Amino acid sequence: MKTISLEVKAAFCAVLAALLTVGGTLGAAVLVSRSIQEARNVAKANGSPVIQPALVTQGAKLFAMNCSHCHADDATGDEGPDLHGLTKSDERIRAQITNGVKGEMPSFKKKLGDADLAALVGFLRSLK
Amino acid sequence: MTPLIAANLWEMMHGGSTHLPIALMLVFAVSDGLGCLIKTDQVRDRFYVAGFIMLIAGTLGVFPAVLSGLMLARWEIGGDGALFWHHVFLWPAFGLLIGLSVWRIIVRGKRSRTGLFIYLLFAFLAALLVSGAGFWGGEILLGSS
Repeated sequence: MKTISLEVKAAFCAVLAALLTVGGTLGAAVLVSRSIQEARNVAKANGSPVIQPALVTQGAKLFAMNCSHCHADDATGDEGPDLHGLTKSDERIRAQITNGVKGEMPSFKKKLGDADLAALVGFLRSLK
Repeated sequence: MTPLIAANLWEMMHGGSTHLPIALMLVFAVSDGLGCLIKTDQVRDRFYVAGFIMLIAGTLGVFPAVLSGLMLARWEIGGDGALFWHHVFLWPAFGLLIGLSVWRIIVRGKRSRTGLFIYLLFAFLAALLVSGAGFWGGEILLGSS
């Protein structure tokens, strides 16, 4: 009986600790996420980084030269995946192009510079 | 620090910090499960002690993994596609691991058969959820979108 009482108390503490830790983490994440979003909105209001048509054109050229072999000319995917409606952030897309994916996609670190990456990301974002 | 370097840093840290806790969480459940099946007291206790150490070490290891993951996902706790499913498995697993650790620390060896049975059920559920979170984490990295 004493053991069961200890187990019940322990279970209560366990639930409390779990709720506090996970709740605290999620709460903190929501707060930080909101402040990031607010900062983005302010940045947008101060000069929106609208995708420029020239950047998209340049990105399309780079795509045709470097990516279409695996992702198809219209980026709908062939050996590589369809690139329409990507949900990854710009930074992640850049990182993936730069570093590649082991056994899946080559690295373009030596071939593409920052301006090329910006153009490619601009092109990929233009795909609907 | 440029965004590209920052993204890579958190990606490396997340990749480097997640695999050990995942492995520990799976083996702790197996160790405790085996301990339950073994009749020799001394051997059974060793499995329980091993399970306890792995549970605590794994739970402590989850914190850097969660923090680096949040940094990588820009503090997104939901998301879309694979990220959403990663979080669906991750948050309950995180809570369960904290709960199991606390319960185990308080109760130590003074547990009833019923208590042990319920504990094991949650331990295997935690292992299942951690596996799911790991699977969807891999899908984010290597998946099609």
